[in-house]
Amino acid sequence: MPDNNRGVFSLIIINKAGGLIYQREFQSGLRQLSTNDYLVLAGTFHGVHAITRSITPKIPISQPAPSPATSSPSTTAPAPSSYSYPNPGVPVSGLDYLETDKFRLTCFQTLTGTKFLLFTDPLTGNVDTIIQKIYELYADFVMKNPFYQIEMPVRCEAFDRHLGAWLRGRT
Amino acid sequence: MSSTKTTRIGEETRVDKVNAELVTLTYGTIVAQLCQDYDSNYQDVNKQLDKMGYNIGMRLIEDFLAKSGVGRCANFRETADMIAKVGFKIFLNVTPTVTNWTSDNTQFSLIFEDNPLADFVELPDDGRAQDELWFSNILCGVLRGSLEMVQMQIEAHFVSDVLRGDDTTEMRVSLVRYIEDEMPPEEE
Amino acid sequence: MAGPPRHATMQSISNGSTLQSGDRPQAQPSQQQLSQQSPGLRVPSNRKTIYDRHLNRSRNTELSRASFAFLFGEMVTYAQRRVTGIQDLEKRLNEQGYPLGLRLLDLLFYRSTSTSSSALSSSSTSSSPPNRPLRIITLLHLIHGPLWRLLFGRAADALEHSVSPDTPNEYMITDNDPMVNTYISAPRDMSMLNCAAYVAGIIEGVCDGCGFETKVSAHNQPTELWPSRTVFLVRFGDSVMEREKVLERAGIK
Repeated sequence: MPDNNRGVFSLIIINKAGGLIYQREFQSGLRQLSTNDYLVLAGTFHGVHAITRSITPKIPISQPAPSPATSSPSTTAPAPSSYSYPNPGVPVSGLDYLETDKFRLTCFQTLTGTKFLLFTDPLTGNVDTIIQKIYELYADFVMKNPFYQIEMPVRCEAFDRHLGAWLRGRT
Repeated sequence: MSSTKTTRIGEETRVDKVNAELVTLTYGTIVAQLCQDYDSNYQDVNKQLDKMGYNIGMRLIEDFLAKSGVGRCANFRETADMIAKVGFKIFLNVTPTVTNWTSDNTQFSLIFEDNPLADFVELPDDGRAQDELWFSNILCGVLRGSLEMVQMQIEAHFVSDVLRGDDTTEMRVSLVRYIEDEMPPEEE
Repeated sequence: MAGPPRHATMQSISNGSTLQSGDRPQAQPSQQQLSQQSPGLRVPSNRKTIYDRHLNRSRNTELSRASFAFLFGEMVTYAQRRVTGIQDLEKRLNEQGYPLGLRLLDLLFYRSTSTSSSALSSSSTSSSPPNRPLRIITLLHLIHGPLWRLLFGRAADALEHSVSPDTPNEYMITDNDPMVNTYISAPRDMSMLNCAAYVAGIIEGVCDGCGFETKVSAHNQPTELWPSRTVFLVRFGDSVMEREKVLERAGIK
């Protein structure tokens, strides 16, 4: 994929607690936000994401049915609820993307609660594929690095290198 | 998710490989080092192996999710299937049998036909190791660490091991609770 | 060189049928006989013991590289908590690799006798087992080729002799991209660290197992193309160098 980085502006990774653990621009000369702005952005997005989950509409149903989305164990089945999420087969997500005329912010939250935020051109395609690949690189070069401490800022030279190289289309 | 579909994910997930003997011997040297560091106090060795596994599990789960692409399980039975047919398949190339469920579906056993970690292993003939050491105890920690990261608190321990002279190698896994912190509130 | 404490534990907790299986009697003892042999160890009734399964069973089998990375990473983390400083950490990793070297050496020899096409470079008549390397260069070729292929699926990238007249006992084995370091980024304040000290320990075990007193260390020698290029510096002891001269004069290869 030679043109992966066309339209990919930057990446942010947010830990489970809403802390900024990684931030990187992929285009030289991109105007940078201050570190503080990035921290605020991470925290704010984390909060809004949680809110969008909690305000997901619930529709009344006649029969209480266990919702797969909440993955409740059968032993501690929730108190019979007369509400269900629309389309109960699909897990409740939070905010998936924000879009303006100028850019698109796509959020991918892993099942462990880590968030990958990718800033792209609104016309950039295959954003999901790009984020999936970034997640794989993260699993390889961050999670398998014994010197990385979980939930802490990511400072892994091999991750930076492979991420940059892949986005430049060189593997 | 259907059981056959789970099997297919386990078989089709792309896995980078390395010589199996390097993995086996590396695990062996870790356990041997612990036995030395803890003066062959095997209870302490078991504990330390579980702790190391827990540390691994918290990291390994991301690799599992990123490479397999699976989503959240609907219930604990599905989780058990996922552990056996996808987790163990991609990380150890074995598929333990899931069996001995309790009626409330919160406890099951994993029976290992093969265990690459214990290949070519014989426990020390000191009259204690076969009664006290759980050689593959790191696997219990791995399950505990991985599942905790996806909001399941579990307890896992070995109940038998061919290295101890038992006829099977069996791990017992119990669901303690679902950790709901990350979940939206059930009710107003 | 290898003091007893170094691998005493590994001999008892053995991934160590490698040490025994080769010369074990062919007759299959019954379970009772087996328990008489080692009264303390119980064996499963289905006889899944190391003596009942072929040593070459795992030959050419593969496992997830991720599993290796996680185990190795945890070994590094655990070692790090018990040491002060980079040298200490590398020493510990070296010590953890050492017993693998002893075992792998036996495994290499065993397999080269049990198959017709010998992977080893040693000269062997059809019936006699391959000679263990007697000369430094034979030993180093064994490491550079067969050992590396067994462990990493390919030969090492270079083998060189020190050009300095002051250090004729020094040899360098280069790996452009050591598998064990694939996922590891050392923090900036530990930039000297090379976790392939584990592999250096393996090499040291192989050399020691062959009767070559050696010190092996792993050093970062990055190039632009190979950022984790590693040079294993093999330094043979005086006794080895003296013997080498005698063998040279005797015309032994």
